[in-house]
Amino acid sequence: MGCGMPLTRASGGEVISTAVATPPTSTSPPLADSRPPADTPEWTASAGSAEIFSPETMILKVKDLRTYFYTYDGVVKALDGVTFKVHRGKTTGLVGETGCGKSVTAFSVTRLIADPPGRIMSGEVLFEGADLLWGLKEEAKFTPIGDTGRVKVKRKFRRIKAANERMSAVRGRAISTIFQEPTQAMNPVFSIGDQLSEVLLLHRGMAIIDEMMKATPDSPAVGRAGAQLIDAARTGVREEIRAAAIRFGEAAHAPSVGTQAFYIVRATTSRPDELRRELGRSLDRLRLGAGARRYLRYQRRLLEIQEKLNEVYFSEMTERAPHTTARLGLGRRAGQLRLSHFYYRIPLVRSRLDRALKRELFWRVVHLLEGVSIANPVQIARGYPHELSGGMLQRVMIAMSLSSEPDLLIADEPTTALDVTIQAQILELMRDLKTRVGTAILLITHDLAVIAEVADDVCVMYAGVIVEKGPVREVFRRPLHPYAQGLLASIPRLDQPSKELTSIPGSVPNLISPPTGCRFHPRCPYAMEICKTAPPPMTIEGPGHTVACYLYQGPVENA
Amino acid sequence: MSTNGMDAPVVLSVRNLRKYFPIRGGFFGTRVGDVRAVDGVSFDIREGETVGLVGESGCGKTTVGRMLLRLIEPTSGHAYYRPPEDVEDRLDELYRQLPATTGANNGGSSPPVRPQVVTELDQLAAKYSLYRKSPRAMRKLRGKLQIVFQDPFSSLSPRMLVKDILSEPLEVHHAGTRAQRAARVTQLLRDVGLNPEHEWRFPHEFSGGQRQRIGIARALALRPEFIVLDEPTSALDVSVQAQVLNILKKLQVDQRLAYLFISHHLSVVRAMAHRVVVMYLGVVVEMADTDPLFTQPLHPYTQALLSAIPIPDPELKRERVVLQGDVPSPAAPPSGCRFHTRCPAVMPICSQVDPPMLEVRPRHWVACHLYPQGIEAAAPSESTASMPAPLADTPLSGTAT
Repeated sequence: MGCGMPLTRASGGEVISTAVATPPTSTSPPLADSRPPADTPEWTASAGSAEIFSPETMILKVKDLRTYFYTYDGVVKALDGVTFKVHRGKTTGLVGETGCGKSVTAFSVTRLIADPPGRIMSGEVLFEGADLLWGLKEEAKFTPIGDTGRVKVKRKFRRIKAANERMSAVRGRAISTIFQEPTQAMNPVFSIGDQLSEVLLLHRGMAIIDEMMKATPDSPAVGRAGAQLIDAARTGVREEIRAAAIRFGEAAHAPSVGTQAFYIVRATTSRPDELRRELGRSLDRLRLGAGARRYLRYQRRLLEIQEKLNEVYFSEMTERAPHTTARLGLGRRAGQLRLSHFYYRIPLVRSRLDRALKRELFWRVVHLLEGVSIANPVQIARGYPHELSGGMLQRVMIAMSLSSEPDLLIADEPTTALDVTIQAQILELMRDLKTRVGTAILLITHDLAVIAEVADDVCVMYAGVIVEKGPVREVFRRPLHPYAQGLLASIPRLDQPSKELTSIPGSVPNLISPPTGCRFHPRCPYAMEICKTAPPPMTIEGPGHTVACYLYQGPVENA
Repeated sequence: MSTNGMDAPVVLSVRNLRKYFPIRGGFFGTRVGDVRAVDGVSFDIREGETVGLVGESGCGKTTVGRMLLRLIEPTSGHAYYRPPEDVEDRLDELYRQLPATTGANNGGSSPPVRPQVVTELDQLAAKYSLYRKSPRAMRKLRGKLQIVFQDPFSSLSPRMLVKDILSEPLEVHHAGTRAQRAARVTQLLRDVGLNPEHEWRFPHEFSGGQRQRIGIARALALRPEFIVLDEPTSALDVSVQAQVLNILKKLQVDQRLAYLFISHHLSVVRAMAHRVVVMYLGVVVEMADTDPLFTQPLHPYTQALLSAIPIPDPELKRERVVLQGDVPSPAAPPSGCRFHTRCPAVMPICSQVDPPMLEVRPRHWVACHLYPQGIEAAAPSESTASMPAPLADTPLSGTAT
């Protein structure tokens, strides 16, 4: 079974194999009707735009998402019908002012809304054919209290817990999130290496254990590569040492040893005997005793059960029906396994046996940190979050969220807490990521300039609704919604200093009692009578460019 | 953009301002070191002028702003309040005879300072410096020097009505009768674009932008000459930020206010300031009028800072200088030029000698070894030093080594 792929739906039972037989994207009906309607103008029906909207290129589709917060002051309608799509390998920006619901959208997609007080009320979040909001209706009952206008929410916590467990198949491994405050997202009492190791073990553990088992520390090739590495160390050329260290790792069939060897050479400069001893010591951790091997096999079986469980969860969300028997069976197997190996829970036994795994993970973490251009990854991995600056921690967060090779990365204001020079570094990293790894990114920010720099598509949000969507160039060149226009006109521009700053009068409305009709109408310079009565529909005004405003009479989008 | 040139009278003349915060530790909390938050900062602020103070977080911007109001006492240095023109010239002359910059960082030995210079400076300081004013004289001055804080959510007392917040400075300074004060409060609210009936509300009833306007009104209450704006819009949304900036601009024109505009947001500074001072790790690295600074930045740090700013135009693709690493700790600043650890155009001299602040072009000062003395005559400045020029290739770099 493909251990590296987080969401491979391999045969794990009768029910699951049906999901394998047919690709999920082509069968699920809500995705099929996302094609443009027939009576649209020629540019929407053309081959190019049809390709853009096809489900093969689409990774996330959010439709009519509503998230409310039940507070003592009333119901805060934080999201009121949010619809957007994220395409594969593309960066979609979500931009808006404070309190417009950007972060609530991100948290709703991964179902991380604090509940209570928040609740996702309705909508669809389709991720690779799986409905992440499946079973939402059964999770809570709403009964109005008399005629006070207030609502009593009765939550069914067993349902909520089940949904939470299902989401573990997606969170972190298929969709991972970078949070706004890196200092608050990390655990202060564990070292950075340990925190990243945990994530690695959880998401890539089986592959790592397999590689550890297959390592060949005693093959003659290792000796030859080691001698070459010692020669390269004498030259002192960084690139040569790096290449030789990688070859050394490959010879031992353990890439992490390559990483470790590089830092061993850097730490012990040009002392061949010392170097040889240190390299030998790093190979020692690959020579697993019988007990350690047994322990690794036990760990691997636990991870395998978890993986199968995740597959069951994922197929549940795809087919929207619970596979309770499969789920219970796997749960029982994990319980039996833990019981039959209860001595692994004795701290002294365990710490001796998992030393090899810990070291393997540590050096893989170092490799991950190298990937986000951290200068001295070994020290950083040994350090604790408070020792790092915000920019460094944000890189660690990025490394952590990328360690599971997610299909979708949600970046919630990744640079807001950082200085401009550090922001430039992080944006550079994200751009690089998009081209190198091809991860789809949902970028949430209040900074239009960041969107312009990184995003391919943009959604402008205002007071819990998306008012304009489209390709970045299109929206910035020709903003249609009065709010988007006002927002663009109000940024001070470095390249156009003499520009008069215009401001949008008024301020963001209270979402407990939002304005009727179009939520922007109290601040809108073009407000008409109709704006006060009914919310405007999303109309198509250009290739991929839609807007919710009565000023425009394009064909109505039915996503 | 800079409508007022050199002719407007100076409100504050800041010279060699320093603030070292002690690091206490060890046995009995002895002083084990210093955080050199501000290490020798000099600039002038004139009437009706906005001086932008920019830099990354932790570079000492806010400390400078607070020292100008004596909210923090400086370790050394002076801020001269309204020195007459001849005194200003004399000050410049005297300071020129002092050792160039921080002494400690300077490798070369400087000629000994004549004692007359020191005594004369001392006399002038006693007469004009803010830090030599008696508490009573300072209290009178405080009405003239005001501040608007960054966070409008924590800088207004939640228990006071807006009218009390605005009339408190008037009461403290015994300004006018009760009726006059009430009239002034209404006037202030109008000035910042709020309704007079808002005076009966509490701060929590307002949005961020409105609260910041209340903060501005409070600073304006005593008809100040100089206001420190410490990141006044960084807690606000862009659409509201424009409102606040426009109000500030209008007030400046109406009342000939001098602003020290502290911000890390360079596009805002460009929109607001007449002159810009760029700080890095406690020292000023570049100082110039806004337009020359933004179109032809000279210091590598300014160039990197400018190229790091994202521009809200997806069609514009630029070469960018991405600085590696973080800002070093101000407790142990790098030797020589403090920027040399991250500088893309670093030379051997940079780690040894602290570059002096030189007027490389008229009204354009820069502290960098790339621009040694007298270079403005030799360099065809306007054409070569355009913004994204690769630093190593400029003819200026060769001459310094």
